[in-house]
Amino acid sequence: MSVIEMNHLTKQYGKSRGIKNINLSVEEGEIFGFIGPNGAGKSTAIRTLLGLIYPTSGSAAIFGRNCTEHPEIRKELGYLPSEVFYYDNMKVIDLLKYSASFYKKDCTKRIRELAEIMDLDLKKKIDDLSFGNKKKVGIVQGLLHEPKLIILDEPTSGLDPLMQQKFFDLLREENRKGATVFFSSHILSEVQKMCSRVAFIKEGEIIKLEKMSTLQENNYKRINIEGVSTISKEAFDISGVSRLEVNGTAASFIFKGNINTIMQRLSETELRNISIEEPDLEEIFMHYYVKED
Amino acid sequence: MNMFWRELTAGRKALIIWSICMLLLVVSGMGKYTAYSSGGAGSDIFNQMPSSVKALLGIGTLDVTVMSGFYAMLFLYIELTAAIHAVLLGSSIIAKEEKEKTAEFLIAKPVSRSAIVTSKLLAALAQIVVLNLVTLISSILMVSAYNEGKDISGEIILFLISMFIVQLLFLTLGALLAAGISNPKSSGAAAAGILVGSFVISKITDLSDQLAVLKVLSPFKYFSYNRIVEGDGLNAFILLLSVLLAAGMAASAYFWYGKRELKL
Repeated sequence: MSVIEMNHLTKQYGKSRGIKNINLSVEEGEIFGFIGPNGAGKSTAIRTLLGLIYPTSGSAAIFGRNCTEHPEIRKELGYLPSEVFYYDNMKVIDLLKYSASFYKKDCTKRIRELAEIMDLDLKKKIDDLSFGNKKKVGIVQGLLHEPKLIILDEPTSGLDPLMQQKFFDLLREENRKGATVFFSSHILSEVQKMCSRVAFIKEGEIIKLEKMSTLQENNYKRINIEGVSTISKEAFDISGVSRLEVNGTAASFIFKGNINTIMQRLSETELRNISIEEPDLEEIFMHYYVKED
Repeated sequence: MNMFWRELTAGRKALIIWSICMLLLVVSGMGKYTAYSSGGAGSDIFNQMPSSVKALLGIGTLDVTVMSGFYAMLFLYIELTAAIHAVLLGSSIIAKEEKEKTAEFLIAKPVSRSAIVTSKLLAALAQIVVLNLVTLISSILMVSAYNEGKDISGEIILFLISMFIVQLLFLTLGALLAAGISNPKSSGAAAAGILVGSFVISKITDLSDQLAVLKVLSPFKYFSYNRIVEGDGLNAFILLLSVLLAAGMAASAYFWYGKRELKL
């Protein structure tokens, strides 16, 4: 059974924002990444899926049921919104208990465990917490009832690297216990580390849906080189290279494919300097667009 | 039930403050009774006032030198206070999740929007009942402390029943506005504006009988004070209509809150 299903899901807001005709299904036990730049429609898609906003057309369901018609299906859902705001006058523990009270099971033990893992002080007022700590409250709030589906909207923003690591370990653990995880991000590397499949969204449309293994085979590298003498454009105009820019003795491009191919080609050129790095997401998106045109 | 208790806890402090204000209003209002009832020159002044001035002061055709008439005059301000409380409570209890950006947290829980409205309306109902009871008890105590004539506890109870209906009307009106208006910040202002408008209408209709038709726009005019003072009780038909009106507004609040796109 598909845990998440979106069929021709469309949500229009005003003129430009929103999502267009999204089709997506996520199977039980997957860790699914939803990736795109800010404003691409990630939050809109998630909110429409969960029935927090209503679609203009199309349909969405979790565990085979529409959230608006069957709000009780959200018992199995743990959700972390992208921006966390909580009832200000509450202490962390009060908020977590309030959140737990919606699920009709005793979550006290799990709250303690999660707070310990995330290093969260339960006695503080939410008002007094930093952004990162509020995010932790959001994470604990989303996981405390051991949901079968965990949906997180930009979960790592505001967390320091150590916390991000702990958080991802936590998600892996939940996934190992059987939970399906769906999270959005604009950082490719964290999706790469975690996910089994990934969907790229831009301007409200899914432009690519790929298995992580495929993506990893198609390792994207941004390569900048500086040659001893002038570099000819033809030398690097091979399959897998895109966005090639040659400027005298310097050149830069994105390479996708077998690393050895490009290494051989590089070794034929006498270099003064080289850097090989992970391209950022925007560049990969640009890459897709170039290919589609 | 969890949302109901949450709302009660959240509203506790405000309710205490409103209750104290109401208590002070009753206490200070009743304190002036001796000045009105001392007779002689005092009552002459009232007799000589033009009827329009009397109307604006809330005296109208009441005999404010006796306790029941005096209480009816004071009751206008009590009722106004309770109505302000009810309309602000009704709009804020619905709008605050959007205003404080907690709506996304709440509606992602396994509850329907109707269940959210139900909890909120019940919590608000409990709060207007408390304010009503505070008013009732303090009125009965204060009136009996000053009253030298006939006991008017029965009339006070009727007044407070009519006040409860007015509270109910304004509460559901506030809730309806908050449920229907997409900007959560403007629903409170709209609710307060309508309340002031209906109060002004109630004053205008006192000035001239020709404007009596406008009374339908002002819940303050639904129950005649004179009728209660004269011992004729509440008009059962109007009582029924008012309850139906409140139920209709509550139902519309459910409808709009379920239908509207909430501000997340």
